[in-house]
Amino acid sequence: MSAIASVVVVGGGIAGVTTARQLRSGGFAGTITIVESEPACYDRPPLTKAAFVDGASLESLVFATPEEYAAQRIDVIAGVRATAIEPGAHSGRRVRLADGRAIDADAIVLATGVRAHAPTFDGGALPRVSVLRDYADALRVREFATPGTTIVVAGAGLIGAELTSGLVALGARVVLVDPQRVPGAAGLGATLAGYLHSLHSAHGVEVRQAAVAAVTRGDDGVLVTLDDGATLPAHAVVVGAGIAVDPELAATVGLADPAAGGSIVVEATGRTAAPGIWAAGDATWRRGEDGALAPCAGHWDAARLDGAAVAADILGGGTPARGADWYWSDRYGAHIEVVGRLVGDGTEVVRWAAPGRPAAVFRVADGLLVGAASIDDPMTVRAARRLIDQRVPVAETQLADPGVRLRDLLRSA
Amino acid sequence: MTEELAVAKVGEIGEDEAIVVPRATTGTLDDVAVVYTGGEYFALDNTCTHEEASLAEGWIEDGIIECPLHASGFCVRDGAVQNLPASRDVAVHAVRVEGDDILVTPNPDRLA
Repeated sequence: MSAIASVVVVGGGIAGVTTARQLRSGGFAGTITIVESEPACYDRPPLTKAAFVDGASLESLVFATPEEYAAQRIDVIAGVRATAIEPGAHSGRRVRLADGRAIDADAIVLATGVRAHAPTFDGGALPRVSVLRDYADALRVREFATPGTTIVVAGAGLIGAELTSGLVALGARVVLVDPQRVPGAAGLGATLAGYLHSLHSAHGVEVRQAAVAAVTRGDDGVLVTLDDGATLPAHAVVVGAGIAVDPELAATVGLADPAAGGSIVVEATGRTAAPGIWAAGDATWRRGEDGALAPCAGHWDAARLDGAAVAADILGGGTPARGADWYWSDRYGAHIEVVGRLVGDGTEVVRWAAPGRPAAVFRVADGLLVGAASIDDPMTVRAARRLIDQRVPVAETQLADPGVRLRDLLRSA
Repeated sequence: MTEELAVAKVGEIGEDEAIVVPRATTGTLDDVAVVYTGGEYFALDNTCTHEEASLAEGWIEDGIIECPLHASGFCVRDGAVQNLPASRDVAVHAVRVEGDDILVTPNPDRLA
C-alpha cells in the first residue's frame, strides 16, 4: 500500500472525516481531500438534539475549523457533489465533481452516507412536509415549531423520538404517530422501548398508533389523514421513516450491489470489490467471515469505526478491534446508551431505578452479557461494553442489583 | 508564576478514578480533573472540548479518559484527543505528590 500518494474521501460525515484524520495521525504523508456535498463537514447527531433546540449554527457543528484542517493538511471541498468515478492518470482513478472539476486519486474512500426515506403517502411532497436528515432540514423543521403550533411527527424511531422531544422543548404541540404499539421494541426490547415511548405522553405529546395515509393543504398548514380515518389539522409534518440508499456515485463504478439493496459491499477492512476503492459508514453492507452480508448498523460509532478501519488498511496496518456496536440517544433530558443486542437469544435482565422506571436493561445468553442499555448511567454501558467484548461471565442477580457497579464486575473478573 | 495547590490526599482518589477541583479553587478557566491511573496522578481541564460534559465522570483506562457523553477519548498525560466527536485537545496541568499531598500547579495558559 506504500504506493498510495493521494486519497480522496467522498463524504464529510463521521466516517469520512475519521478516515481522513486517522490517515494523517497514522503517518500518511500524501494528499488527503474530502469532498462533501453539504456546505461543510459536520456532525449529524446534534440535529435532533440540543443543537436543534438551541438553533445551533452550522459552524458550531463542524468537526474541525478550516485552520485545523489546514494544519493537518486535509483539503476540504465542500458544497460540491461528486458525480462519478472515472479512469484517471497512470492507470489510477479520478473523482468527477458536479462543477466539472476532477481529482486524481490513488485511493478513493466512499463515505457517502444515506438519504432519509422519502414519504410515500399522498401529499408527501408538500412544502410543509419534511424529513430530517441534514442541517437545512433541521432549520426548516425548527421554523415550523414556534410555540403553539401543532406538528405531526410520523415515525417514533430514534429520529422521530428525539425530534419530538426537541419540538416539545421549543413549545410546539406534537402528535406522534407510529403504526407500532411499542415503537423500537424490535431493537430495544419491550421493557426499555415501552418505558421510553411512555415518556412522550408524560411530556404532553399526543401519541397515536396509526400511520399517515395522506396530507393535504389546510387552512393554516396541512390536514393529516391517518389510516384509522382520523384527521388532524397541523402546521407541518415531519417524517422519520428510515433511510434510503444513495447509490448514484457507487453505481458509476459498479459498486451499487443489488444483493445489498444498492449499498456498497465491503470486507472488514473496508475494501470494496474494486481495487483502490474503500467504503465506510451508512453507505455500506459488510461481508462477514462466513460470507453473509449484514447491513450497516446505521449508528454514528459504527461509521466512525468503519472510517478507522479504512484508514488502518490504507496505512497497511491490521484492522482495529471493533467490539460490540454502541450508540446513544437523548430525549427529554435523559441520556440513553446502548451496546450490543437487547433482543434475540437469551434472557432480559432489568435493573430498576424505581417501579416502572428501568435504570438499565441487559441481555444475557449462556452466562455471558450480549447487550446492555442504560438511562442516565453511561458508565454502566461503558463497563458492559467491555464485559461483552472480553466475554466476562456475569450473574443475572448482580446485573439486576442497582447496588452493584458493573465496573467492579469487570475488575474482579 | 502560578501557585501550587494541595487538592487531595494520597488514597482519596481510587484507581482509574478522578475528582473535580472547582475552578474557584484553582483560579483556572475550567474545573480541573485530577486522575489516578497506573499508579500516577494527572490533571487536566475537566470539560470535554466537544459538548458540556465532566470528564471526571468518564471511563478511565490505559491512560485514556473517555467522555461520559459521546466517548471521545483524551490522553491523561498530554490531553491529546484520540477520537471524534471532540477534535481539540484538553489542557493539562502539572501534578506531583509530596508526602501525602497531591499538588497541582495550574497551567499558566489556563488561568482565569
